[in-house]
Amino acid sequence: MRYQILDKPEFSVVQVHFDAPGEQMLCEPDAMVAKDSAIEMKTQMQGGLLSAAKRKLLGGESIFQNTFTASQPGQTLWLAPGPEGDVEVLELNGTQGVFLQSGAYMASAPTVELDTKWGGAKGFFSGTGLFLLRCVGQGPLFFNCYGGMHAVDVGPGGYICDTSHVVAFTEGLQYSVTKVGGLKSLFFSGEGLVCNFQGQGRLWISTRNSASLAAFIAPYRPRKRN
Amino acid sequence: MQVEIGYRPAHSMARVMLQPNEAVVAESGAMVGMSTNVHMQTQSGGLMKGLKRMFGGESFFRNTFTAQGAAGEVLLAQSLPGDMVTLDMTPNGYFIQSSSYVASTPNVNIETKVGGFRSFFAGEGVFILKATAEGPGQCLVGAFGGIQELVCDGNLVIDTGHLVCWDSTLEYSVGKSGAGWIASFLSGEGLVCHFRGQGRIWIQTRNPSEYGTTVGRMLPPAG
Repeated sequence: MRYQILDKPEFSVVQVHFDAPGEQMLCEPDAMVAKDSAIEMKTQMQGGLLSAAKRKLLGGESIFQNTFTASQPGQTLWLAPGPEGDVEVLELNGTQGVFLQSGAYMASAPTVELDTKWGGAKGFFSGTGLFLLRCVGQGPLFFNCYGGMHAVDVGPGGYICDTSHVVAFTEGLQYSVTKVGGLKSLFFSGEGLVCNFQGQGRLWISTRNSASLAAFIAPYRPRKRN
Repeated sequence: MQVEIGYRPAHSMARVMLQPNEAVVAESGAMVGMSTNVHMQTQSGGLMKGLKRMFGGESFFRNTFTAQGAAGEVLLAQSLPGDMVTLDMTPNGYFIQSSSYVASTPNVNIETKVGGFRSFFAGEGVFILKATAEGPGQCLVGAFGGIQELVCDGNLVIDTGHLVCWDSTLEYSVGKSGAGWIASFLSGEGLVCHFRGQGRIWIQTRNPSEYGTTVGRMLPPAG
């Protein structure tokens, strides 16, 4: 299997090329843009009902996933996320896993396992919505975000990121949700809560968040007539 | 302060690299990420100054980010899709449309201009800021859509919804776009800004309120 990401960063699209029959790719529903006719699609719950429901409730992903299987050599599959923005791929090596923020998962090889991890009471009660999907195994993992995707290699100094901009981070990074500045800052700075990352690993940040765009458009909605 | 702007033009983000104990002032909500040794402080600069700023269509508070003890970085972005540009401060300074302001070096003084502009921008909820600095400094501005730098040599007419900032050496006045008010209204161009003199004008290639109107009318009514 070979793949490439085209039209980066605004309108990233993934082109997957299956060399041999039987090669597979798992995707979020709606991700398919185009496919050759000798690729079969099957819709199923991955890992059974419980695991799928957990993924839906906590990871913000769909209950059903589509599996695309090549039945002949030399087949091409095109995948794209819903919103405009970037797609990144990580080749998992079997030893180090990666955590994806809710909604960031796009596609993966069938040898990649997805599981939801409880984001911790702090993340839950602070309303940050930091629910994480843990991906381990071997093979490519595609994830997407609204806006550009900025990678930060976190070293001994750690890194701070606005919670609404976290897309993904590798295992080996620990985070705590904190506020920046003093009490006054928490309420008036407009910055809200941040994730304070410590440890060694890579962090992916989105340069925009779709909630801000939605908040901008909301006042332009028509008024209800009485 | 060294600024690198990436992910241009649609989702641009500025990486501001600070020397030890150097600071940058940013619009509230602009911070995306930062080094752990960067300390954030919220300043309203006094109640009156803060209130005046709020009338300027900006948020009441600005944040100062200081790299403590060692070098550090701050990632800054505006909330809407678009490009960013860094302006080197000039002796005359700049006029900046309030929602375009993202950040500046601490020596840049930002004042809200009230008066002539109040009426013409009122519909768009946008006002004008004046940025001045003694000595060298920088200002980071963001646009909705792409940014084009135009040179005014004599006269130039710009749609008010497409203005980002301009050299304060330019004289400006707001007026109708056509020969009469009816023609102006029907043309869809609304109000325009007439510039006179010599200087640069930065425009945004999309108009935020036009975008909001286009998308907003397709949404269910607000409850």
